Amino acid sequence: MNSIWPLVQNETIKIIKKKRFYVILLVLLVLVPMFTYAQMRQAQENRTKFGDDWRTELQQAITDNQNSLGSDRVPEEWKKYRRIFIQQMQYYLQNDVNPNEPGGVTFTREFLNNSSSLFIPLLIMTIASDLVSGERTGGTIKMLLTRPVRRWKILFSKLITLTMFVSLIVVSTFIICYAISGLVFGYSGFTIPVFTGFQPSEAGVDMATVHAVDQWQFILMQMGLIWFVGLTVGLLAFMVSVLVRSTAASIVIMMAALIAGTILTNMASSWSSAKYLFMVNLGLTNYLSGSPAPIEGMTLPFSLAVLAIWAAASLVVSFAVFTKRDVMN
Amino acid sequence: MKPSSSSARIWRITSIASIVTTLLLISGFVYAINDVVNPVGSSYTAESSTDSAAQNGSQAAVDPATEGIRVAALGDSLAKGTGDDEGSGFVRRTVNLLQQQGVDAKLVANLGINGQKTGQVIESLDESGVQHTLRQANVIMLSIGANDLFNGGEALGNLDEQAPTANQLLTNQPKAAARLQKILDRLAKINPDAQIIYLGLYNPFGDLKELRIPGNQAVSAWNMKAAGITNTNEHMMVIPTFDLFQNNLDQYLSADHFHPNGDGYEQIATRIVQSIR
Repeated sequence: MNSIWPLVQNETIKIIKKKRFYVILLVLLVLVPMFTYAQMRQAQENRTKFGDDWRTELQQAITDNQNSLGSDRVPEEWKKYRRIFIQQMQYYLQNDVNPNEPGGVTFTREFLNNSSSLFIPLLIMTIASDLVSGERTGGTIKMLLTRPVRRWKILFSKLITLTMFVSLIVVSTFIICYAISGLVFGYSGFTIPVFTGFQPSEAGVDMATVHAVDQWQFILMQMGLIWFVGLTVGLLAFMVSVLVRSTAASIVIMMAALIAGTILTNMASSWSSAKYLFMVNLGLTNYLSGSPAPIEGMTLPFSLAVLAIWAAASLVVSFAVFTKRDVMN
Repeated sequence: MKPSSSSARIWRITSIASIVTTLLLISGFVYAINDVVNPVGSSYTAESSTDSAAQNGSQAAVDPATEGIRVAALGDSLAKGTGDDEGSGFVRRTVNLLQQQGVDAKLVANLGINGQKTGQVIESLDESGVQHTLRQANVIMLSIGANDLFNGGEALGNLDEQAPTANQLLTNQPKAAARLQKILDRLAKINPDAQIIYLGLYNPFGDLKELRIPGNQAVSAWNMKAAGITNTNEHMMVIPTFDLFQNNLDQYLSADHFHPNGDGYEQIATRIVQSIR
């Protein structure tokens, strides 16, 4: 065990020196201002319509959704979402809590909610897809494997490094998002109450377990779940990077899988066995906010189990292949 | 292989940062699982909520002298504007007409919902969001009752099946009228200063021979009842639409033979503007 930390150190320095992590930060620094600006324009537009009166604005949103419930042209699936939305928003109104209290923290919460199934996994792929295939592409794999270290240790050190960077990416996303959006919307809002515990049921939402948490607690929970998603996607990308020789190919494979996931989430409700695919289970944060799962029968423990199984399987494959395979160019 | 000093620094910062963040995220992960799997319901009581609610009550009523005309609409598909190609309906068109005349008019919110009946409106008046919205207005427009009377005859396409019998038109009335009374009373209580405009009904079945006369009778009887209620409160009035549509159904009704079209809504709006000023 004593020789694992130098290897991890080596891998970490490689990732930093290859500027992979800086690319991720750069992507965040470019994209987050764009989202912030878009959000700002939307807020301005709403203000001209409703003034500062969020209650009326929310009531109008509720009414608009109620109207669509009556239409036969709206699919039953969407109606379910809208019914849940209506009940949640009415709950917020009853308790006189603004669900979208403007502020950098609220923006960050929304951003994290929307980025958990595609955006952050993509960022993590940047590092994970390159970990092994990058060595092949660069030809450094021979040097790595001819050192007097067991192969599994080399792979294991890469794995630890991956975990470290998954954590760093999730937290960096939060920090950059908060820092930039705070410039526009203000830095307050950590203690705003957010309701969680909405249980989607047959009739709509079961309110018995609803409770308020501070927004910072909500964000902490979000980040914890996103971290798990990131780790799973990272492990899968890692496996692909062991199996495939070129980094480009391994990125394309993972990206296709992730994008297929977002498409499936939107249309797979009638294909119920799709819920065993990892890519439709990436929206873990939805369980916090109480939006219904894309496929009947999906719950947080279920999604966690599916992700864990995929992650474990990819670990087994990675180690089995990496320790056995001949290194030939 | 000895790492250079910059590498050592990179390693030190990255490793410490990642250990700290990993521990943080694991705690968040565990917290989230626990919170979702074992949720404990608790009613929310914020320190500030009573404050803001009280504030909300005092700010609510707008001052007509300084605020101009603030319109909120409530009720059925007519309030919403179904049938209008432009989607405006009489509510938005009234506001537009007022603005064209240089009046400071604004639509606060339109809470009209397709197919609503009197009973549903009564329920909605208990919602805090609806109450709040109504308090922001000084003119409340209400269109309700048609779906009670005509039994949701707006279900398009199968008009022949859905068209009510002459008998039905009358049997539905007393209860619906009692509920209308309740709605108007609640509105006056929620916002005592607002002018409440009730939109009278017209007979959309005037072009069906067997329903022309019973329909006219039923709708007239209803409008009389509505006027009987509104006349007891100085802030309420009925805007008649019966005469407007009586001989102009082909001109003012939309393709569904139930809702007004854009022209029909424009005529209604014109009448409301005349009455408001």
